[in-house]
Amino acid sequence: MVVRERATEVDLTVELCGMTLNTPLVPASGTLAKEALGEAEGVYGAILPKTTTPRARAGNPPPRVAETPAGMVNSIGLQNPGVERFMEDLDAFDLGVPIFVSVAGETVRDFADLCERVAGDDRVAAIELNLSCPNVEHGGLTFCAGPAAVEEVVGACRAAAPTKPLFAKLTHEGVVGNARAAEGAGADALTVMNTIPALTIDAKKRSILVRGGLSGPAVKPVALKAVYDVARTVEVPILGGGGVTSGVDVAEFMLAGATVVQVGTASFVRDPAEILAEFSDYLREAGTAAANLTGALE
Amino acid sequence: MKFYTVEIEARRRLGAYTLLSYRWPGDGIEAGRFVMARAAGYPVTLDPFLARPFSFYDFEGGVASLLFEVRGRGTALLDRARETIEVTAPLGKGFEIDASTGRAALLGGGIGVAPLKILGRELASRGIDHDVFLGFLDAKTAAVADDFPGASVATMDGSAGTRGTVLDAAPDLLGYPAVYACGPNAMLAAVKGAAGQDGLRQLSVEERMGCGNGSCNGCVVPVDGGYVRSCVEGPVFRAEVLAW
Ligand SMILES: Cc1cc2nc3c(=O)[nH]c(=O)nc-3n(C[C@H](O)[C@H](O)[C@H](O)COP(=O)(O)OP(=O)(O)OC[C@H]3O[C@@H](n4cnc5c(N)ncnc54)[C@H](O)[C@@H]3O)c2cc1C
Ligand SMILES: Cc1cc2nc3c(=O)[nH]c(=O)nc-3n(C[C@H](O)[C@H](O)[C@H](O)COP(=O)(O)O)c2cc1C
Ligand code: FES
Repeated sequence: MVVRERATEVDLTVELCGMTLNTPLVPASGTLAKEALGEAEGVYGAILPKTTTPRARAGNPPPRVAETPAGMVNSIGLQNPGVERFMEDLDAFDLGVPIFVSVAGETVRDFADLCERVAGDDRVAAIELNLSCPNVEHGGLTFCAGPAAVEEVVGACRAAAPTKPLFAKLTHEGVVGNARAAEGAGADALTVMNTIPALTIDAKKRSILVRGGLSGPAVKPVALKAVYDVARTVEVPILGGGGVTSGVDVAEFMLAGATVVQVGTASFVRDPAEILAEFSDYLREAGTAAANLTGALE
Repeated sequence: MKFYTVEIEARRRLGAYTLLSYRWPGDGIEAGRFVMARAAGYPVTLDPFLARPFSFYDFEGGVASLLFEVRGRGTALLDRARETIEVTAPLGKGFEIDASTGRAALLGGGIGVAPLKILGRELASRGIDHDVFLGFLDAKTAAVADDFPGASVATMDGSAGTRGTVLDAAPDLLGYPAVYACGPNAMLAAVKGAAGQDGLRQLSVEERMGCGNGSCNGCVVPVDGGYVRSCVEGPVFRAEVLAW
């Protein structure tokens, strides 16, 4: 495979929370199923499956996806088999690279219990907290609705999983304050950003098509600014993402301050190996290594 | 998802629909499976952004064909593509064929005829007799039936064949050991009702898709106890599995 051979000529490795990743690319949670892992091999520096929750979730009724200009809106509703079945199945995601596990609950207690459960498993290299879901104890506001909420949930997870690398995944809204709170509460890294709340309407039927989260190239400038602002506020590393679709996009996120770059929606329309090959071309032309790119804006 | 740029081998109108064929050197093409297709790749098609799912219409001599109806922008652009299009490798689970069933009924509603051509070919090659029943809105869309010699046709406005739905053109389905259907969900539900519980009953569903390879969880259909992804567990399901 020409693409992958070329990719090995440049130094793609990055360090994240004491782990060495072969490439700075990681799939965004919820966008890579085990059925599609074939195209992930050799491309991603770590694997990050879809968010798991304490109990099985059926998810939302269809339609769940709607296309938008340069993007899509999804309302999946965290469909997953629940943490126990998820962990039984975890070996399916073993590609010989670290596995990060994304968790979400409806209460702070849920989050802490999940962290304790998955941290106890050696196959789990790190935990990502999906803080974009509603907190039922706080009137359905999300866990990243503000610094106090972030501090509470991240602090509880930190205590429940004292030694596992812990990433807090944030949305763009209020991201700087939330990032500071997550770092203060002990997060080892921050994932910036999740989807943007959005709505699509079918004008012909005069009905709502999908109410959910916007992702894809359309959100990239918003995500870049969020990463840039957060990088200037915190010391911990950033897993940046939102609309990454090309190798140059990867470079842009690293220049804005990301150490690792997440590829989500783009993997539905491109082979992620092409994105990595383009990023390698960028590094070759720039005469630098991936690890030197983070925050290296002139 | 990996896309391949393929040269358009031929294109023609088949009644109100477009038949587009391309050379496919790989394997995996079977009745009921599908591809994600688009007129051009990244970055030309940032908008429309997602590729669209299409069933295989036929596969002969290394040439695959798709039959489609222009609905919106994605299909309009495919209809206009002149030299190449982009497709994925074949995806999903197709129709089960059981040689012991002996006799089959194939039902198509509108553009739901698409997977029945290759299915008929596969059944014939296994020595399974089959009858084809097709339902359309009007004579214009029904013109595709010319490609299905011997098919019984119904149209809603009565301008061709029997007046009514595909079920008005079909006799008692209970007598068929195997029933295969593709069309709008309402038609599939009606076929499920009419075909009874016994024998092989398979329905090819149509849901909106994001990825086509199981990654997005967007294309689900209801089953007992939740939802399953139609792009990897389907698009063809045994009728009894679907909770509608
Ligand atoms: C497994 C599978 C196989 C298919 N096989 C064929 C085929 O062989 N030939 C064919 O013509 N079509 C087929 N379809 C349907 C085809 O994918 C849609 O017609 C196409 O996506 C429309 O794209 P567009 O950009 O032209 O329309 P859009 O602009 O996306 O939409 C136009 C209109 O069609 C509706 N629509 C769009 N996509 C869907 C969908 N997936 N289900 C229901 N309504 C939709 C929209 O609500 C809108 O009203 C198949 C779908 C699936 C899931
Ligand atoms: C279909 C779909 C499902 C998603 N599911 C999850 C999820 O389960 N957990 C999560 O943290 N983020 C989820 N996301 C958000 C992505 O991980 C990512 O943060 C977001 O889509 C922005 O990146 P992108 O534009 O590269 O996709 C999902 C996104 C999509 C499109
Ligand atoms: S279309 Fe994405 S899971 Fe089926």
